[in-house]
Amino acid sequence: MWRLNKVRHKAGRLGGSLEEFKLKKREHEKALRQARRDRQLVSKRLLLNEDEDQPELAISICLSFPQDVVTLFHTLQHSGPEREAHLKALSKALHDPTAQLTFIKQENSMHLLVGLLTGSNASCRLQAVRCLHELSHSSHANVAPACLPATPYLLTYLSGQSTKFTELCLYTLGNLCPESDAVKEKLLAQGIIPALASCIENQRHNLAVVEAVGFTLSQLLQAKDAAAKIIPLVLASSLPSHLLSVLTPDPKFGLAPAIECAWCLHYLTCRVLLAQGALLKCSCLLVSLGAAVAEGNKEDGMELLICPLLRCMGNLLSSCPVENLSTEVGDIHVVVALCALLQAYLQSQPALARESAWVLNNLTAHSSALCSALLTLNLVPGLIQLLPFSQGINTMILRVLANIAHKKKEFCVQLAHLGLLSALYATLKMADQEMVTLSMDVLFMLVVSGPQVAEEFVKQGGLLLIEAIQYNSEGEIRRRATYLLEHHLVSYSSYSIQSK
Amino acid sequence: MLQPELARLLAGGQVLLKSCDEDCPSGDTHELRQREADEGNPFNYTPQLIHLHKDHQLFEDGDIHRHMYLQDLYISEADDKTTLSVSEFACHISGCSAVFSTLEEYEHHYNSLHRHVCCSCRRSLPSARLLDIHIQEWHDSLFNILAQRQDMYQCLVEGCGQKFRTSKQRKDHLIRLHKYPPDFRFDKTKKDRGTRETKRQLQHKDAAMEVVDDVCESEGVCEVMCDVLSDQPERGESMETHVSRDDEAARMAESASAEEHAGLSAAAHSAGNTGTEPPKPRYSYRLVFKEVCCKPLDVFRLFLAQYCCTQRGHVVPFIRCF
Repeated sequence: MWRLNKVRHKAGRLGGSLEEFKLKKREHEKALRQARRDRQLVSKRLLLNEDEDQPELAISICLSFPQDVVTLFHTLQHSGPEREAHLKALSKALHDPTAQLTFIKQENSMHLLVGLLTGSNASCRLQAVRCLHELSHSSHANVAPACLPATPYLLTYLSGQSTKFTELCLYTLGNLCPESDAVKEKLLAQGIIPALASCIENQRHNLAVVEAVGFTLSQLLQAKDAAAKIIPLVLASSLPSHLLSVLTPDPKFGLAPAIECAWCLHYLTCRVLLAQGALLKCSCLLVSLGAAVAEGNKEDGMELLICPLLRCMGNLLSSCPVENLSTEVGDIHVVVALCALLQAYLQSQPALARESAWVLNNLTAHSSALCSALLTLNLVPGLIQLLPFSQGINTMILRVLANIAHKKKEFCVQLAHLGLLSALYATLKMADQEMVTLSMDVLFMLVVSGPQVAEEFVKQGGLLLIEAIQYNSEGEIRRRATYLLEHHLVSYSSYSIQSK
Repeated sequence: MLQPELARLLAGGQVLLKSCDEDCPSGDTHELRQREADEGNPFNYTPQLIHLHKDHQLFEDGDIHRHMYLQDLYISEADDKTTLSVSEFACHISGCSAVFSTLEEYEHHYNSLHRHVCCSCRRSLPSARLLDIHIQEWHDSLFNILAQRQDMYQCLVEGCGQKFRTSKQRKDHLIRLHKYPPDFRFDKTKKDRGTRETKRQLQHKDAAMEVVDDVCESEGVCEVMCDVLSDQPERGESMETHVSRDDEAARMAESASAEEHAGLSAAAHSAGNTGTEPPKPRYSYRLVFKEVCCKPLDVFRLFLAQYCCTQRGHVVPFIRCF
C-alpha cells in the first residue's frame, strides 16, 4: 500500500538532492505528456518491500546468497529447507531488468514459479507472488506477458484473507492489465470483474486491499476500448456502489484508497452512476474537502482526490436533467467549496483551479438558484479577481459570470455593481479572442439590463472602447461592437466625456 | 491558505438547494426571446453544459499528476514552482498584431498609434486637437480657399490662440515665441502635395459614392472606401507615424513586445522601406469593413456616421474626416 509520506521518504533516499529529483521528475513529465498525446499513458506500481526500510537485512541476504538468477533458479528446482530464503533472494534479484530477462528465458522458469505459487508452503507462496510482482512491473515487451500463466491463480486468491498476499496478487494483476488487448480479454474471460467485486465487498474494512482493488480496476478502465467491453460489465456489477462507499477518506489510513476509487469513478462516469447517487456523494465530499482547504488544512495529495471528484461531478452534471438538480446536488454550499478550491489551488495546481471553474459552469448553466447563491454568498468579487489568469481559467470563469448574467436583469445590475463592468475594460483588450468575444457577450447583457449600467459604462469612456473594437480583425467581434453601439449605446453618447 | 469567510460559510451547516421556477434547460425567458427577436442581433450567448471526455486536453495536467504519483514521482506542492500564467493583451485593430504583457503598455500603444488617426492619409497624430488641425489644413479644400483671404493657420500650442496667414509664419512663431524646434514632427507642410492630395480626395469621394451604389462585391468596394490611398509615405516626413497595413504588421508583432515605442519604430521601418518601392495594390488584403458592409443600409449608415461625426462632436478613432 502507498502512503504519501512513504513515497516522499523514498524520494529523499534516492540519492542526490531534491534538485536532482526535480530534474528527473521534469524529464519524466515530458515523456508522460507525450505518451498521453499518443493515448499510451500507462503506469505500473511497485509495492515496496518492507525490507527496503531495513537495508541491513537486505544486504545480509545479498551477501549470503548468490545474486545470479540462473543459479538461484537451478537451486530452486530442487526442494530444500532454504527454498523460502532462496525465493526471497530471487525476488530481490528480479528487481533488475536484465535479471528479469534472463529469468524468463530459462526453460520452465514460469512453471516453477506457478508451482511455488500454488504449493502447500504459504511462505513460499508469498515469495513466489513477490517474484511475479517484480516481473509484472517490467516495461519490457516480453517480460510481463510471461506472467500470464499465473493469472487464473492470482484471481482465485483474491477471495483469500491474507492482506499482504492479496495486495501483491492485485497489484500484479493491475500491472498486467495494460499489457495488451489479448491480456485484457484473457483476464475478462477468467472473471476478473466478479473477482474484484467480491474482493472489495469481502475486504471493505481492509483499506490496503481496497486501495489495491481500486488501482487494478482503474488500470482496466483506462483501456482504449473500455467503453465497449469493460465498462458495461463493471456497471452491471456491484463495483460502483462499493467504490462510492469508499470515497470518504479514512482519517487514520489516509487518502490513498479514496484516490483510487475516485479515479475509477471518473473513468466510469456516465448517466448510470447518477441513479446510484454518485453526484450527491461527490458534491458532499467536495463540500467537506473545500471546508478543510478553506480552514488551511490542505493535506499533501488532496488534489489527487479532488481532481477525479471534480471530473465526476462536472460530467455527471452535464447528463443530469435540470429538474433533478436540487436532489442530486444537495447542499448549495458546494459553490462555496468550489470557490475555496479555486483560490487555494490557483498557484500550485492551475489545472485544478480550471477544473473547479468548469464544474461551476455546469452548476450555474441552468440553475437560477445556484447563480443567486453565488451572488448572495458574496462569491462574485473573488471570481472577478481571477479574470487575469489564463490557460483556460479566465474563459471558464467568465462563462460562469455570463451564466449568472443570463438569468435575470437584476443579477446583471448586481454584477455591474460588484465590479464586473470595470473588469471588462481589461478583458476586452486581452489577446485571447475567446475572452474578447465572451466579454462582449457579457457586456451586452449588462448594458441591456438597465439604463443605469449603460450610463455608467458610457461615463467611464466605454464608447471609445467599443468604437475601437469595431476595427477588430475578427468579423464576429466587429459585428457585436457595431450592434451594441447602434442599438444600445448611441442614445447615451451625450454622457460621454470625450477629451477634445 | 486560510479563507476565513469561506470556511465560516462551509462550517455553517447544510443549506439544501431548492428547485427554482426559473430553472429551465434552454433559459427560455421572455427577455431572451425578445432579445433574439431583434433582427440581426449577433449576441447569442447561451449557458452551456460542457461535457469533457476523459482524454480531453483540459484534463492533461491532472492526468500527468496522477501518473506521476503512481510512478512514485509525487512532489509536494511546497517544492514545486507554479505554472500559473497571466493573460496577455493584444491590439486587435485589423492589421496590427502587437502584444503586451500589461494593460498600461496596451493603452500606451493604442493611444499613440490608433487613437487619433486621419482617415484620409492614415497618419497618426498624438492628440485630438492636432488631428483636427491636420485634417483642416491638409484635407479641407474650403480651408485653402479661406486661407487666401484670412489668417487660418492656428498656433499649435493650446491656449495661444494666434492665427497666421501662412504655415511658414506659424512655424516662425512656434520657433521664436514657443521655442519649438525647427523640425517639429507634427508641423509638416504639404509642399507639393496639393495636386496629389486633391486627386486622391476626388478618388476617395468617388469610391465612397460607389460604396452606396454597389455593395455586392463588398470586399473590393470596402477596401477602396477605406483604403489608404497614400500608403506611400512622403519623403519629407519620416517621423509621422503611419499605421501601415502591409506585411510590416508582422514585423511590428516581432518588435512590439521588445520595444517601448514599438509602433513608432516599426512604422519607421516601413516608412524607410516602402519609400523606395512603388505603392503596391492593396486589394488582396482583407479590410476592416468587409462584413459590416454587407447590407446596403449598413454601409450607408456607416458612411454617414463617418462624415457626420464631427458635427456631433463625437471623437471617433480612425475615421476623422471632414
